[in-house]
Amino acid sequence: MTLLHATDIAVFDGTNRLLDPVSVTLEPGEPLVILGETGSGKSLLAQAIMGTLPENLRAEGQVRLGNRSLRAGADRAAFRKLWGREIAVLPQEPWLSLDPLMRAGAQVAEAHRLVRGLAPAQARMQAGNDLAAFGLGAAVARYPHELSGGMAQRVAIAAARAGGAPIVIADEPTKGLDAARRNDVAALLLGELGQGGGLMVITHDLALARMIGGRLIVLREGTVIETGLTEQVFADPKAAYTRDLIAADPEHLPARKTGAGTGETVLRAQGLTLSRRGQVLVEGLDLTLQTGRILGITGPSGCGKSSLGDALLGLLPPDAGQVIRAPYLPPTACQKLYQDPVAAFARKRSLGQTLTDVARLHRAPAGRIETLLARLRLDPALLARRPGAVSGGELQRLALLRAMLAQPRMLFADEPTSRLDPITQRDVITMLADLARDEGLSIALVSHDAALIDKVSDDVQRFAAQGSDIAAAMGRDKAMVA
Amino acid sequence: MNILISRLVQAATVAVLVGAATFAMMRSLPGDAAWRIAAGRYGYDNVNTAAADAVRAELGLGGHWFPAFTQWMGDLLRFDFGVSLVSGQPVIAEITHQLGASLWLALTAVGLSLLIGPPLGVLAGLRPGGALDRGLLVVSAALKAIPQFLMALILILVLSVQLGWLPAAGHGQARHFILPALALALGLAAVNARIARDAMASIAAMPFYHFAQWKGLSRRQVLWRHGLRNVSVPLLTYLGLQFVTLVEGVVVIESIVGWPGIGHALVHAVFARDVPMVQGTALMLGLGFVLVNALIDLAVTRIDPRGAR
Amino acid sequence: MTTFSNTLPPGRAIGAVVLALMLGFALVGPLLVPGDPFAQSLMKSLAGPDSGAPFGYDHLGRSLWHRLAHALRLSPAIALAAVVTAGAAGLVLGTLAAARGGWVERLLMILADALMALPGLLLVLIVLAIMPGTAMGFWAGLSLVLWVEFFRLTRAATRSTLASPAVQAARLLGFRWPYVFRTHLWPEIAPLMLTAAAFGTATAIMGIAALGFVSVGMRAPTPELGLMMVELLPYWREAPMALLTPVLATFALLLGLTLLAGGQKA
Repeated sequence: MTLLHATDIAVFDGTNRLLDPVSVTLEPGEPLVILGETGSGKSLLAQAIMGTLPENLRAEGQVRLGNRSLRAGADRAAFRKLWGREIAVLPQEPWLSLDPLMRAGAQVAEAHRLVRGLAPAQARMQAGNDLAAFGLGAAVARYPHELSGGMAQRVAIAAARAGGAPIVIADEPTKGLDAARRNDVAALLLGELGQGGGLMVITHDLALARMIGGRLIVLREGTVIETGLTEQVFADPKAAYTRDLIAADPEHLPARKTGAGTGETVLRAQGLTLSRRGQVLVEGLDLTLQTGRILGITGPSGCGKSSLGDALLGLLPPDAGQVIRAPYLPPTACQKLYQDPVAAFARKRSLGQTLTDVARLHRAPAGRIETLLARLRLDPALLARRPGAVSGGELQRLALLRAMLAQPRMLFADEPTSRLDPITQRDVITMLADLARDEGLSIALVSHDAALIDKVSDDVQRFAAQGSDIAAAMGRDKAMVA
Repeated sequence: MNILISRLVQAATVAVLVGAATFAMMRSLPGDAAWRIAAGRYGYDNVNTAAADAVRAELGLGGHWFPAFTQWMGDLLRFDFGVSLVSGQPVIAEITHQLGASLWLALTAVGLSLLIGPPLGVLAGLRPGGALDRGLLVVSAALKAIPQFLMALILILVLSVQLGWLPAAGHGQARHFILPALALALGLAAVNARIARDAMASIAAMPFYHFAQWKGLSRRQVLWRHGLRNVSVPLLTYLGLQFVTLVEGVVVIESIVGWPGIGHALVHAVFARDVPMVQGTALMLGLGFVLVNALIDLAVTRIDPRGAR
Repeated sequence: MTTFSNTLPPGRAIGAVVLALMLGFALVGPLLVPGDPFAQSLMKSLAGPDSGAPFGYDHLGRSLWHRLAHALRLSPAIALAAVVTAGAAGLVLGTLAAARGGWVERLLMILADALMALPGLLLVLIVLAIMPGTAMGFWAGLSLVLWVEFFRLTRAATRSTLASPAVQAARLLGFRWPYVFRTHLWPEIAPLMLTAAAFGTATAIMGIAALGFVSVGMRAPTPELGLMMVELLPYWREAPMALLTPVLATFALLLGLTLLAGGQKA
C-alpha cells in the first residue's frame, strides 16, 4: 500500500516557476532520497508536500495520503492536521529546533499529551521510555543547551515521532555534521523504517544519500534531472549533471600530484600547547609547513583546528611551545581563508574597492588583479558588488585573490569549502592545490571531511574528539539568541 | 552569583556618584546658605549668627573640601542622610513617609501598561506586517512623541477639565489614581508593546517555533507553551531598564498633580536647595533601580537556564 | 551624512521633513514677521491672531509667533550641543573601551552602568543646581546623561566588529588601525550613531520641556516650550489655541525626531 502520492507538485513565486511539476510516491519500507544543491528546489518540494511553504509562494498539484486528497498550496488547515499525526517532520538543525527554555523530556511529552491525547502522567512516562530507547534516559531533565548535538538530534526525532506519524520527512538532517555524526543520523533514520513506515530524505550530501539507499530523485534548478534506484544511479549515472556531481564527491577526486616544491620550511611549530576556556585542545604538537606542500588538518568540530590556525598565524599566543617563522618572511607572509567568506570582507564596501586597497598597500603591479581574476575564472563585473551579493563559491575565490595580492608564503584555509556544493568545492580546492604547486605556497587546509583531506593533502594532521560537544553547544546557543 | 556581584558593584558606584554630585551641590550653595538654612529651620525671627554657625559646622560648609568630603561620604555609606534643611525632620523619616505613595502610583502604572502593551505587541508580532502591526506602529510612534508631562496635561484637559470625569489633582481615593497612572502607563505601554512585538516576531520565526507546530501542536498551544515563555525573557529584562523612565515620569507627574510622593518631594527639595533630601531621594531611586534589576536578573535566570546572558 | 539621504525609508523621510519645517519656522519665522518675544501689551492679553502676531497673544499680551520661534531655537540648540558633546565622548570612550579591554573597559562599564541606574532628569536637576546659568547647566547635565547610550552602542559595535573575521583578515593583510576604523568600524557605527543622536535629541528636548513645565527648568520670561505650556494652562478655557500652540509644536518636534530615528534598535 502506497503511503503517500504527490502528483505534479509545482511551486511558483508570482509567475516565476521555481519548481517544475514533480511526482513522488512513498512506499512502506522503501526510503526516497531527494538530492540537490542549494537552490535546486528540493526543499520547496518537501515544503509543498508538508504544507509548510512560506505564504508568498504558490504551489500546485495533489497530495494523497491513504484515501485523503489535498491540494498542495491550498488547504493549509488540512495540512496542519497531518503534522505529527500522519507526517513527522525532522528539523534541519536539532539544536535550534528545541525550545531553549523547556526540558528535553517535556518537549517529547507535550506531543504525547497534546497530539496523541495521553494523560499527563502517561505522557511523561512514554517520553521517558522514548528517550531511554535512544539511550538518553539521563537527558529527560536536561535543557537543550546541556545536550550535545547528537543528543539533541535524538530528542528532536523522539519529539517529532511522538505523535505516531507513519511517514517521516527529513530536510537536510546532516547540515554541518562531521562524518561520524552523519553516519549516526543515517542509522537513526533507517531505524525508523523498521515498522513499515515511510521515509523521505532531502539532502545535498552524497554520502548520506548512498547510505539511505532506496529510490533517488536528483533535482537541479527546479527540474528533475534523474530518477532511479539509488544504488543504480550511483553506479551508473545517466545524466551529465549527476555524473559531474558524483565525480566531485571528495571520495572520487583524483589523488593529488605532489608539486615540485623546493620543500623549504616556511613555518614550524614545536611542542605547541593550546587551550580555550581552561580546556586543553592541543598538547605538545610538532608540525612543519613547507613550500609547495599542503598539510591537511582534520578532526571533529570543537577539537581545536581553528585555534591551531590562530596560533600558526600569530593571533593566539600558545600556552607552551613556539611557532617559528622562517627568518626571511615579511609580516604579511601568512594569510588566511575563512569558512564564511562573507564575514571576512568589509560588509559595506564594494569588492573592487577592497581589492584595490590591498593591491595598493602591497604595491602590486598594475593589472595584477585582472590577471588573478582570469586565473581564478572570475567575472570582473563582480568587483562592483558588495560581499553579500556574490555567491559563496565566487566570494571564496575572491578571498583567495585578495590573499594572493599580499604575496603570501603560507595560507591557512579554515574549512574554506564546507558551505559550498560539491562541484564548487572541487573547483575551489583544485585552484588551491594548483596555487600551492605553481607559486610554491605552503597551505594548511582544515576540513571536517576526512575524505577530502586524504585526497588533497601531502601530509595529514588528525585530531581526536575532545569531548567538548557541550562547549560547542554553548557557543552555538549564544549565536542563536543574539 | 556573578550577576549579584556586578549588581553590588553597581549599587556602590551609584552611592559614590550620588554622594559626589550632592557634595558638589552642597559646596556650590550660595554664600549665605547656612543662614538661609537656619532661617528655614528655625524661622527668620529666631536666626542669629550662632545658629548659622552651628548649621555651617554641622554641614561642613566651611573649611577645606577634602575632610568635608570624606565626612560626607562616610555619613552616606552609613545611610546617615542627616536632617532636611527645610523641615528639620530626619531625611529617612521623610522618605519612608513618601515612598509608599509613589510606590502605589508606580505599581498601578506598570500594571496598567502591562495589561495594554504586551498583549497587543504579541498579537502584532504573530502577524508582522499585518493590519494590527502597522496600526500599532503608528500609535506607538505617536505615543513615544508625547512626553509624560504632556500626556498628563492632555489627560487633565480632556478627562477632568472638559469632561469632568476625574479629578485633576488630589490623593487618597481610588479615582485619584486613574489619571496619573494612566498618563504614565500609556507611555510605558507604547514601548513595551514594541518590545513584545519584536520579541514575538523573532521567536515566531525561529526553527523551534516551527518545529513545535510540526510536532502537531495547534497554534494556540505553541503560543502558550513556547511563545509566551520565550517572549517574557527580553520583556522582563526591558522592564528593568524601563524603571528609569518610570521614575522620571513619577517625578514629573507627581509634581503636576500634587501627589505627595518621593518625586514631588524631590522637585521641592531641588527647588529649595535642600541637599540632604536630594541626596536621600536620589540614592533611594538609584538603589531602587539596582534592586529591581537584581530581582529581574534572578527571575530571568529561573526562566532561562542558559544563565549567561 | 550623504549615505542615508538617497535610501531613506518613508518613515524617516517624513520625520526629516517635519523637522525641517519646524526648524525652518524657528529660523525664518521672526524674519517674515518682525517682532519681539518679550514685549508685553496687557491690552492684547489672550487676543487672537493679527498681522503682527499670526498665532495670537499670550496672557501677558506677548506674540506667540515670536515666543514659539524662540522656544524652537532654544531647546533644539541646547539639545544638539549636548548630543554632539555626548556623541563625541561616547564614540571616543566606546572605541577605547572595546579596543583596549581590561581595566579601562571595566571601569568605564561600571561608570556607565551606575549612570544608567539614575534617572536622567534627576542628574540634570543636580547639575543645574551646581552650574551657573541654566542653559549651561542643561548642556552639561544632558551631556552627562546622554553619553552613556553612545558609549554602549559604540562599544558593542566596535567589540563585535573587531572580533570579526573581516578585521582579522585586514590586520593579517597588513592594514593599520586608521584604515580598519575607516572601512570596518565607522560604517557599522555611523547608522547607530545617527539613530541614537535623534533619540538623544528627543530625550533632551523632552527633559528641558518637562522641567520647564514643573517650574524647575528655564526661568520665567524666557520662551521655552514647557514653560509656555504651564503659563498658558490656566487660560485653557478662554484661549485654547494659545495653549495648543506650544503643545502641538512640541509634539511635532518630538514626532519628527522619533520618526527620523527609525528602527527599534538603540
